[in-house]
Amino acid sequence: MGSAISYCSPHHALTAAVCGDDIKLPEYTNLPCPVMYEEITREAYMSLKPEHFEGLRFDISRAVNNKFAMSNRVFMGLIDLPGNSGSVQKQSTGHFDVGANLVDQKGKMDVVLVMRRILSEGRLSAKVKYDVNNRFSIKADAQLTNEPHFTLGMFNFDYKGYDYQARLTMGNNAYYGINYMQSVTPKLSLGGEGIWLGHQRKSSMGLAARYKADTVICTGHVKSEGQINFTYVQRLSDKLSVASDFVYNWNSREANTSMAFDYLIRQCRLRGRVNTNYCTTAYLEEKLTSGLTFLLSAELDHIRKNYKFGFGMTIGD
Amino acid sequence: MGSAVSYCSPQQIQTVDLCGSEGKAPESTNLPCPVKYEEINHEAYMSLKPGLFEGLRFDVYRSMNRKFGLSNSLFMGSVDLPDCAPDPLKQSTAHFELGANLIDQKGKMDVVLMMGRVLSKGCMSARVKCDITNRFSIKANAELTNEPHFSVGMFNFDYKGNDYQAQLTMGNSAFYSVNYTQRVTPKLSLGGEWMWFGHQRKSCMGLAARYQTDSVITTALVKSEGDICCTYIQKLSDKVLVASDFVYNWNSTEAVTSIAYDHLLNQYRIRGRIDTNLCTAAYLEEKISAGLTLVLSAELDHRKKDYKFGFGLTVGD
Repeated sequence: MGSAISYCSPHHALTAAVCGDDIKLPEYTNLPCPVMYEEITREAYMSLKPEHFEGLRFDISRAVNNKFAMSNRVFMGLIDLPGNSGSVQKQSTGHFDVGANLVDQKGKMDVVLVMRRILSEGRLSAKVKYDVNNRFSIKADAQLTNEPHFTLGMFNFDYKGYDYQARLTMGNNAYYGINYMQSVTPKLSLGGEGIWLGHQRKSSMGLAARYKADTVICTGHVKSEGQINFTYVQRLSDKLSVASDFVYNWNSREANTSMAFDYLIRQCRLRGRVNTNYCTTAYLEEKLTSGLTFLLSAELDHIRKNYKFGFGMTIGD
Repeated sequence: MGSAVSYCSPQQIQTVDLCGSEGKAPESTNLPCPVKYEEINHEAYMSLKPGLFEGLRFDVYRSMNRKFGLSNSLFMGSVDLPDCAPDPLKQSTAHFELGANLIDQKGKMDVVLMMGRVLSKGCMSARVKCDITNRFSIKANAELTNEPHFSVGMFNFDYKGNDYQAQLTMGNSAFYSVNYTQRVTPKLSLGGEWMWFGHQRKSCMGLAARYQTDSVITTALVKSEGDICCTYIQKLSDKVLVASDFVYNWNSTEAVTSIAYDHLLNQYRIRGRIDTNLCTAAYLEEKISAGLTLVLSAELDHRKKDYKFGFGLTVGD
């Protein structure tokens, strides 16, 4: 088409680099590459849903060299058990993880990316991402457990065009999915997905829209299982951003809205959220010194009178 | 007897001011006043049993003037559900406590000391302590709850002699007790107690001994219910203290030993303890700024796989 082809680097699984960020204004109708279908709500959910926990969490990550890193995690805390008469009961649990990450980059492409966690309960999860060339990449995801019929495996084939992204997914239990995202204007992108679950002979469809301006990102998502989902993120300044989320299920007729803020101060990052289910949460990460981060997590569900508090420490980056 | 009678200030409920510590060395055979019977273990249990909690605790203490102070305390967390062995189950709970303290001192005597607490669950506790003269003081203690037959009221009459202390207690549901401690040598004091439970027609006796030098305090306590309890603390330096505790019940023939350390610096105080029941506990109080203290509490019971973690903030002194 034209010469000013915008090149989008493939998604790094760990960072939220949106492809299409670093392009010059197109001279004619060349549109930027959109975000992948699964990632349209990523910025919103980074602020809305941090990893809350209850109990103690202790993470150590060590980079052995610039390609390989090892990580350990100890978690001791409470998990919710479905209780009788609606009251939530908790039980103490503890587990220990070991993980290894290998990242090999050539220019802007990830040649190979491996992440693996072995839980002390006997579960293994592995992810491999391989960029065959600039446009085509393959991802594999496996979760193996001791219990029969709980093992999952999935393959994803991603193709990135000039202004579209497509993905084909194949998983065990005869799971097939296909999704497609197209940039319609420089700010708006639309997409759709279809999922087929072989064993249960169920299929579902979804439609999505994403509007991105300089400081605002809005997304809308409709799924045939009966869910409508809107998110809105606005960056008020370098340090502060607010996000909001609306979920409506037309089968169960339940609607839920949450509002969150994400405040980045020099040493700490604070994320707070309020819900229409009278659920308030907060998550604080404070950098005590370089490489040492202190975490505090709180989740108060006033309707079910369920209160979860956790603190933890992260060593390493 | 002689002229160098050592004056002992009455025990303030909140501090560990040992009576007799500022008495000058007697010229004649007058011995310093011993510690009260219920306080012989006090120093050891300050290090061995900090106020561990699970969940979030937020305390605000405001002194209106030198004599009166108000306290607000919020607690949200999990409590163990009773009769759920071997896997302990927990349930979330929350309560709010309002308290008021009034202290009126003349010299070293507490003319009156009143403490009241009201909980959002509907319990109230009140304590009044009044020093009639240098030697005689009266204490009253009441805990009122909504549930019938669970309210408790108690009166204590304390008499302090030159080298002995005696206490008579009368409580509701026909509870009577007498205890007595006598200083035998400048370092050793012995004591005994006798309790009578009127409604259950039970009586029990106890004997106690306490040996105190500059850096070591050893106590031993024998109760007729079948408990032998020995404690030992040693002050290694101004900042570090180690304590140990041994409890043996000859009815159930169970013995538990715990070892604890207490490290006190300007900015923080950390207490750690390990048990022969494979139970480890730690309690950290860190002064973040003037009047603001962060509290972290952890208790890991490896045998029952029960892990309790809590964090909190204290505002005010």
